[in-house]
Amino acid sequence: MFLHQTFNWISFQLHILKNILIFLAPAIPMTIKLTLVAFALALLLGLLVGLARLSQNGLIKALSKIYVDVLRGIPLLVQIFFIYFGLGKVLNLDRFVAGVIAIAVCYSAYLAEIIRAGIQAIHKGQYQAALSLGMTPYQTMRYVILPQSLRIIVPPVANEFIASLKDSSLVSIIGLRELTRAGREYYSQYFVDFQTWLVVGIIYLIMTLSLSRLVAYLEKKYRVHGYGIPH
Amino acid sequence: MIAKCGNFLLPRDVIIPRSSSGDDNIPLERGHAFMIIQTREISKRFGEIIALDGVNFEVEAGEVVVIIGPSGSGKSTLLRCLNGLEKTDSGEIIIDGIKLDKDKKSIHKVREELGMVFQEFNLFPHLSVLGNLCLAQETVRKRSKPDAEKISLELLKKVGLLEKKESFPNQLSGGQQQRVAIARALAMNPRIMLFDEPTSALDPEMIGEVLEVMKNLAKEGMTMLVVTHEIGFAREVAKRIIFMDQGKIIEEGRTEDILNSPQNPRTIAFLSKVLK
Repeated sequence: MFLHQTFNWISFQLHILKNILIFLAPAIPMTIKLTLVAFALALLLGLLVGLARLSQNGLIKALSKIYVDVLRGIPLLVQIFFIYFGLGKVLNLDRFVAGVIAIAVCYSAYLAEIIRAGIQAIHKGQYQAALSLGMTPYQTMRYVILPQSLRIIVPPVANEFIASLKDSSLVSIIGLRELTRAGREYYSQYFVDFQTWLVVGIIYLIMTLSLSRLVAYLEKKYRVHGYGIPH
Repeated sequence: MIAKCGNFLLPRDVIIPRSSSGDDNIPLERGHAFMIIQTREISKRFGEIIALDGVNFEVEAGEVVVIIGPSGSGKSTLLRCLNGLEKTDSGEIIIDGIKLDKDKKSIHKVREELGMVFQEFNLFPHLSVLGNLCLAQETVRKRSKPDAEKISLELLKKVGLLEKKESFPNQLSGGQQQRVAIARALAMNPRIMLFDEPTSALDPEMIGEVLEVMKNLAKEGMTMLVVTHEIGFAREVAKRIIFMDQGKIIEEGRTEDILNSPQNPRTIAFLSKVLK
């Protein structure tokens, strides 16, 4: 009797979870797309700003410092509001574009600092050796410094990538139908809060865990030679 | 009275001229020879610290000159100024007839003439030994990959590390790394080699192999300017020694004169410590 009730309860719960999953599934690609586009843009901006932070030119250096300080000091949620409701009204941005810009700009500030630190971590003897061989500053950066920095910055950049995937949920607030927004819609229709957010959480977890696995694999595969234990 | 006090009354910064000891055929009046390095009154300060204070010296083509002096005396700064890694505050540097000034072209031209070897080797850790030798040949000298590799292999053979061509720097001993660094500099066909304390970061048993490579280079007639504490090397290879202290050249002259009968009290004090 008790066993039978338990079994019924479990099958009912599974049924709900299945329904939630079916409801949420179409929104998952939007979360992935939003994260990928925004993060690619953030990397590009971050590299430029990171290099600008190391510039000999005082003005460029000061401007890039302000860029980083301002964007790092304002919550992403506020930046999303500002870009969608503030700039968006003027420039007529749609939700996706506004979301991408907000995440890209915000994360570019963090990435700029990581990239700057990665470049500065390279011993100055490396610059001296490259320059003394007659290489130009550009060639030195391109062939000597950046390949070494890359290995240093891959783990923290991967961290930021995973963080940006999670932070993409904030864009739900302006009504872009990504995973979290879909969760809210399901909840407001069927009022099952515990199960809805459990499934949303698990889907995020599966995505972030697979990402960290992927990063670990890539790190191993594209490991820069000459570091760590001799092989 | 003054004569009795001897050198101790000399102004601290006078460079003591040496008279030729007759039968020796090393020309001390070097005005007629080709001066491949010339510096005039070069000065450099780092904030409050005066690293170089009006340094004048010349190096003749094919000459091996050793610079000695206590740490912080400006020896390394002097070498870095010669190839433009540090900018001088004042004074003039002429390398192989090219005046080193602010514009990037002259710095570039000068660096093509100068090879430099560092205390810390500074090999590129992400490249193999061969990659280290080829990189600047391909990017700066614009040699094709096969040409660059051919030259690299010849030089590796010369420094006795042909079998290590595929290794990475962290798989080599300090002495091997420094020999690779010398080969890397030579691959650019420099006319002058600068050595900045090339053996100071090495374990004692590895110093010999690096000095051996340097001695061979000297025998081939390479112009070399070497900052080192290896007095034995200086005695064997160097034609001249320059003693620096506090950013100035205190004394310079023929190796045997400086080592056997230094005149300036500071040179005497330094050598008595080093030769102990």
